Amino acid sequence: MRSLPSILSLALVAIAGVAVAGTVNPARDAILASFAATAKLVDPAFTGFSAERGHAFWTAAHTGGKPDTPSCTSCHTPDPMAEGQTRAGKQIAPMAVSKTPDRFTDSAKVEKWFGRNCNSVLGRDCTATEKGDVITYLAGK
Amino acid sequence: MPRRGGWRLPSAICQLASFMVCDLCSCIVDDADAGRAKGGFMMRRLLVGDPDRAARAVTDAKDVSRSVWVWDLPTRLFHWFLVGAVLVALITELIAPAWWLSWHVAAGYTIAALLLFRLVWGLFGSGYSRLASFSYRPRQVVDYLRQLLKLRPPHYIGHNPAGAAMIFALFAVLTGLVVTGFIVQGGQEKQGPFAGVAGFAFGNNVRGIHNFLAYLLMAMVAAHVAGVLADGRLHKSSIIRAMITGWKRVPAHLSVQASRPPRILAAVVVLAALFVPAVGALILLARMPPLGVPAMIPDQVWAKECGACHYAFHPSLLPRASWAALMADLHDHFGEDASLPPAAAAEVAAFLQAYAAEGWDTKAARLLSNVAPTDPLRITAAPFWIRRHRRIAPAIFAAPTVKAKSNCVACHRDADSGRFDAQAIVLPDPAPSGASP
Repeated sequence: MRSLPSILSLALVAIAGVAVAGTVNPARDAILASFAATAKLVDPAFTGFSAERGHAFWTAAHTGGKPDTPSCTSCHTPDPMAEGQTRAGKQIAPMAVSKTPDRFTDSAKVEKWFGRNCNSVLGRDCTATEKGDVITYLAGK
Repeated sequence: MPRRGGWRLPSAICQLASFMVCDLCSCIVDDADAGRAKGGFMMRRLLVGDPDRAARAVTDAKDVSRSVWVWDLPTRLFHWFLVGAVLVALITELIAPAWWLSWHVAAGYTIAALLLFRLVWGLFGSGYSRLASFSYRPRQVVDYLRQLLKLRPPHYIGHNPAGAAMIFALFAVLTGLVVTGFIVQGGQEKQGPFAGVAGFAFGNNVRGIHNFLAYLLMAMVAAHVAGVLADGRLHKSSIIRAMITGWKRVPAHLSVQASRPPRILAAVVVLAALFVPAVGALILLARMPPLGVPAMIPDQVWAKECGACHYAFHPSLLPRASWAALMADLHDHFGEDASLPPAAAAEVAAFLQAYAAEGWDTKAARLLSNVAPTDPLRITAAPFWIRRHRRIAPAIFAAPTVKAKSNCVACHRDADSGRFDAQAIVLPDPAPSGASP
């Protein structure tokens, strides 16, 4: 049997730990949940997003998009903690949630940029699984 | 006269002192003078022509030539300051990069002030400085030139007729350069006292005159220097040294003008009476808002959405038709998908139409609105853009802070205002060699 104070302190440590990791955000969770629902609809075998798959997608050289931008890393650099740069020279804040905490918390913004960039990099819309994997990968960074 | 073996030290020091320390001492450049006035220094009243200087112009032992005090200190200072200001104006326009424009303008103001001063000093200065003393009839100029062609030009103590004609011509051309310069600065650059008065087209046309006068001035300066050198050869005297020390060697038989001291108080009063209203008028003119530069409140959606990927191009950089075509196809935006929600796209499009190039009289708007017929949406394809950036090294565009030719604000620090002042250009360090653009 544990005493009440020790349970409370454990809970506090857990909350603090999660908060430091930067993964707890209701808006981001809602966006992920929505992608998860769509993924489940498309593929009933879907079990959850994977940071490893997101990492692989992030660094992969894709085909089908614009020749100047074959990969996410073309503009964002391979390191999500680093600043990126657009082809027109503008700085891009790091994609890692630990560096830019409000990443993936605005649904319209998420849709706008996946819409544009998936078209530029892959020449098609990304699937809900791909989007969820990338967000999961970057939220853990 | 026995040829002097170079300047003796006291004389050289004295000459230097004479030039630098406001004429407090006058120099005896003549052997005979040196014998007469021991030590080589004679105090003379500051700036004032010595009433006795004609008498003190001493003949040398063989009575062949003598030194005469011709140019007073203000006239000499005027001459060399003018030389400096004209050189600065030429160098800053022909050699220095565009962002030295303010030095060019400063040289113009200096020349204007010098001309005004010389005009007044030409009325109240000492003998040979007065305009009346070298105002010759055209006939006399022609006669002099005819003699010059025979290599037997007559001696004059002050300006000879050809030199005098050149002085007046130089004054006229310099005045024209100052006036046209002001108009170009106001009309083209939207800077200075005439920014609120002169339109771009007017300034652009006057620029042609300004350039022509500048080349004419260079030719005239060359002729002036050639004339000075020829005079030195033909008369075996240095009138360059005369313009430094004030003393000129002339044949003994030439009669010297009756001494005429300067009227300093009158000169100061008239100068002030001209300068104060002129400066006041320029200040009042400069406070007028520049012509054709509307007050623009930046649209928030435009700033955020366009500025997310690139420098948010000022609406004045493309004409309405180009903006309309560009906003109609954001899906393929220079090879990128830049699509926007319809409401945001409509707001940006309306803002761009409201402040497109047609509504501006700035240099960037007027010259860039002449778009490339084959690529009318691309600002960096406009003929003016290409012409103006042709000397920018590829390594500058490849610099990490620039990366693309479309990144105007990387070098034009005032790009957000649409002004693109020459003075606001700061080139970054070029990319290390081997870096891919």
